[in-house]
Amino acid sequence: MAPRILIVEDSALIVDAFKVLFVDAGYDVDAASTIAEAVEAGTAVRPDVMLLDLTLPDGNGLDIMQALKERDSLPRVTLAMTGHNDAKSRHSCIEAGCADVLLKPVPIAELLRQIKRHLAS
Amino acid sequence: MTMSETDAWAALSNRIKVLEQMSEEGQRTIDELRARDALKTQFLSNISHDLRTPLAAIITHAEILRDGMLGTLNAKQADSVSGILNGGHQLLDMIDEILTYVRTASDQITLVRTEFSLPELADQVRLLNQALAARKHLTIERLNGDDLPLVYADRDKIKHVLANLIGNAIKFTDDGGRIWIAFSRRGSNGETVCVEVGDTGRGIAFNHFELIFREFAQVDASPSRPHHGTGLGLAIARKLVELHSGHIWVESELGKGSRFFFTLPLQPAGD
Repeated sequence: MAPRILIVEDSALIVDAFKVLFVDAGYDVDAASTIAEAVEAGTAVRPDVMLLDLTLPDGNGLDIMQALKERDSLPRVTLAMTGHNDAKSRHSCIEAGCADVLLKPVPIAELLRQIKRHLAS
Repeated sequence: MTMSETDAWAALSNRIKVLEQMSEEGQRTIDELRARDALKTQFLSNISHDLRTPLAAIITHAEILRDGMLGTLNAKQADSVSGILNGGHQLLDMIDEILTYVRTASDQITLVRTEFSLPELADQVRLLNQALAARKHLTIERLNGDDLPLVYADRDKIKHVLANLIGNAIKFTDDGGRIWIAFSRRGSNGETVCVEVGDTGRGIAFNHFELIFREFAQVDASPSRPHHGTGLGLAIARKLVELHSGHIWVESELGKGSRFFFTLPLQPAGD
């Protein structure tokens, strides 16, 4: 079975681009644009990988990690995506349980490599 | 108290009241300007984030095409997609520069200091810019620095400053020119490192020495100017150097190249 990716991102433009990318790379793809949707999807579809945008309309993306942890539904790998390349936000992502923090826009080759690497480990 | 003294006191008292009123009005104006400045900074921050998102989507789509994920491109298509990517990355760099400026302007930047070798960092930035320089047949060399002690500073921020200075040197030096990086020690005990980024480019007129370090300022600000940019690069560089308690300045003459200098204390004050 193909690994399942949940894209948590409020920009439909980015979601569309990622869908093209991941479907072509052989993944099953779901998307959520709010914390509420992400918690619901994360619990229902049990993704292997969650790509997490930190700035969402209903709050900080990292809150999803806590909610999924409480539901015992944390994905195997969560990769945070942020526009801020600062040590502080990086630290809070790793603290919350993210496997890595990627600076947007992540070059696609790098993104696919990271997902593969974390799924293999 | 005579009549004329009473009048004088009354006049003085009135004058004091007027001055107090003026002072209050002045304070109100300052508060209002501060509030407007904060709004402007917030606006710049929001708009930069909002510009970044669709741009990230454009770049991702272009990379998908470039990497042949939707089928192999012919040479002309590949050229066109590479044009989209180059333009996209150029725009992204400009937006990131605005975001960095917003953070420096609103004091959102904190330094993360580590010990590192400045010459090594300079070599890294030099190598990153080698391809760009080669296109204009420019050489970038490091003249000295092997014996320089480690500095205790924020490596990423100093890298940003060096990249900005070297980027400018490449931009404003004509084909076949020379760019160099040199180090010296200053102060009675050599407690300050001075970094020089020099070039044989077109130079800067004396009356622009201060202007170029101001935000949004460009010596040629006309829409037809040959070098586009945000005009924030040197303003950011100055802020980042000053956060390290250093100074940045330029020495130059039109037609005779420019030498940019910045200083860093070897150990920060109070440590």
